[in-house]
Amino acid sequence: MDAIRRSLLGQLARLSAGAALVPLSSLAHAGINQQPARREGDPTKRYGMLIDLRQCIGCQACTVSCHIENAAPLGQFRTTVSQYEVQHQETGELATFMLPRLCNHCENPPCVPVCPVEATYQQQDGIVVVDSDRCVGCAYCVNACPYDARFINERTQTADKCTFCAHRLEAGLLPACVESCVGGARIIGDMRDPDSQISRMMREHRDALMVLQPEKNTIPQVFYLGMDERFTTRPTAEPVALEVLDPHGQEMGYEFHH
Amino acid sequence: MNSTIELLAPRYDIAWYPWAVQYFFMIAISYASLWLAAPALVFGKKAWLPTARLALIASVSTALVAPVALLADLHQPLRFWHFYAYANTHSWMSIGSVVLPLYLLSVLGLAWLAWRPALQEQRNAPGLSGLLAKWLSFGNGATPKALVAVVGLAALVISSSIMLYTGAELAIVKARPLWNTVWLPPMLVATGFIAAAGLVLVLNRVSGLGSQAAIRQMLYVLLAACAAAGLIATSWFLDGVNAQVGSVAAALESVRHSPSWRSTALWGGITGIALFAAVIVLLTRSPQRQPTLFAWAWLLGLVAIHMGWMFRWVVLMDVQHVARNSAGFHHYGIPAGSSGILGIVGTFGLWLAAILLIELFMPWRQAQQGGTSLDAQASSDAIAATNDSLNTKQGAPNHG
Repeated sequence: MDAIRRSLLGQLARLSAGAALVPLSSLAHAGINQQPARREGDPTKRYGMLIDLRQCIGCQACTVSCHIENAAPLGQFRTTVSQYEVQHQETGELATFMLPRLCNHCENPPCVPVCPVEATYQQQDGIVVVDSDRCVGCAYCVNACPYDARFINERTQTADKCTFCAHRLEAGLLPACVESCVGGARIIGDMRDPDSQISRMMREHRDALMVLQPEKNTIPQVFYLGMDERFTTRPTAEPVALEVLDPHGQEMGYEFHH
Repeated sequence: MNSTIELLAPRYDIAWYPWAVQYFFMIAISYASLWLAAPALVFGKKAWLPTARLALIASVSTALVAPVALLADLHQPLRFWHFYAYANTHSWMSIGSVVLPLYLLSVLGLAWLAWRPALQEQRNAPGLSGLLAKWLSFGNGATPKALVAVVGLAALVISSSIMLYTGAELAIVKARPLWNTVWLPPMLVATGFIAAAGLVLVLNRVSGLGSQAAIRQMLYVLLAACAAAGLIATSWFLDGVNAQVGSVAAALESVRHSPSWRSTALWGGITGIALFAAVIVLLTRSPQRQPTLFAWAWLLGLVAIHMGWMFRWVVLMDVQHVARNSAGFHHYGIPAGSSGILGIVGTFGLWLAAILLIELFMPWRQAQQGGTSLDAQASSDAIAATNDSLNTKQGAPNHG
């Protein structure tokens, strides 16, 4: 990726983080591939998450606790932490970069208007959820999400994703990933409440916040602090492990390249 | 500058299975062959009647099988009724769920009208085909030509909606840059016509109809469709070649970093150009040599079908393996079960069954733009009398 594009994306990342603070009521016009009306949830709230990457040690406690809380099948994740080893080419210095990934509960979620049966919808508090009793498992939303935040749950055969643990929020609890984060890197809260921790931190770090893939115009509501703008899009990295498949396409193991 | 190694990332599976390829392939053949049947059945061009008869069975048989493949790609197929109970007009897929049954009905309606005169004639045939003809011909009345034309026109209009929705469904997905281009829907249509013309050529051979006129017409359709596909591909490329992001940039990146994408691009390009060149060669030979050469046109038909199928495989399956958030490429082996090879083979098997049932019970060889059973009789006599058929020279089997 060249420098110009990188800096452009970086600016876009910052701009989008800013734009998210402006209420976007104008999106409600009906039309093909436009957002259907939001329903359910508390209209006085807008949940968002701020991830302070400076505090993340890549322990995957969030991955595990989410997995247990939400009973995701093995190998399928609502949240996970990508880890990269970054080497400075001149000094040879090594550093590890952690990037927790989850649903961005976008202000303009591309997964919602594509759903042919409105099984996936955005609540008025901004949380994007799936009604698994209605979902037909067409997987259109899985393809429409640029963040790979969705998957077809092997057990229920319906779309599955992070819900910010809406069931826990309702009960006054924190989401499993936030609760278990050892470094306190994940901060969730109501961004409409000016006194909430997330609102305070967003005011304080407004210029440093970035979102993932801002150029997709999804207006993500998961904000990263301490982010390197080269990681806001698909990182130009080499995979350390390649899957080795048998002739039937079944995974046999991994081949390490480094 | 830094170098980066991805230590840990989840594995992302594909979400749409080969069933989707089968659906897009079948429905494209169906709508394109409907248009190939239109000159004779809708606009009354007698010279296109042999083509129309072949194209009509191609259109009907694929229209019957396509929705089955689509249903199978749902992870909850028994919930298909949710499409109608909870329709979401914001979704192209939901629009498709309304258009598709209408399309199927209009194609079946057109086929019934076109086959009815011959069905009326077949009512006294022994066995099951006579019985079916009695049930299906609905009385002795003539089939008005205008009715066939109107139903045909309606089918053409609805088929345009199918072209639009199947293309738009993919083209609006920003998350997959390779799909997210306005050039994808027209390319799907162009390759659909390539595959449909190919199928008509093959059916012309295996049915024993062996119409020279149909071969010539299909070669011209192939010529036009290949030229259109080439133009669309070139426009797509020139449109995006200087862009840093978007469909072409994503394609170039894939080709640059993946040997399998390189070979796919090369194979697609070479096959397309070779097909185009072969069609030109066949059409420019002297009239004396053409009948001998045209006898081999069905081989070009197979290549054309391959083009149409492969384009959909690359677009729907291969694009899903381009990683969006992790390094490298996702590796995909086609599973053996119903979400893989069994599904592909099964769909083709179902299609074969559909076309054999039509062959067994429907007098598709006498399809015409309405009229009475007497017209059907006259038209089949006329066909037998003309020298149009390759059979007189080839002695290929004729089940007619």
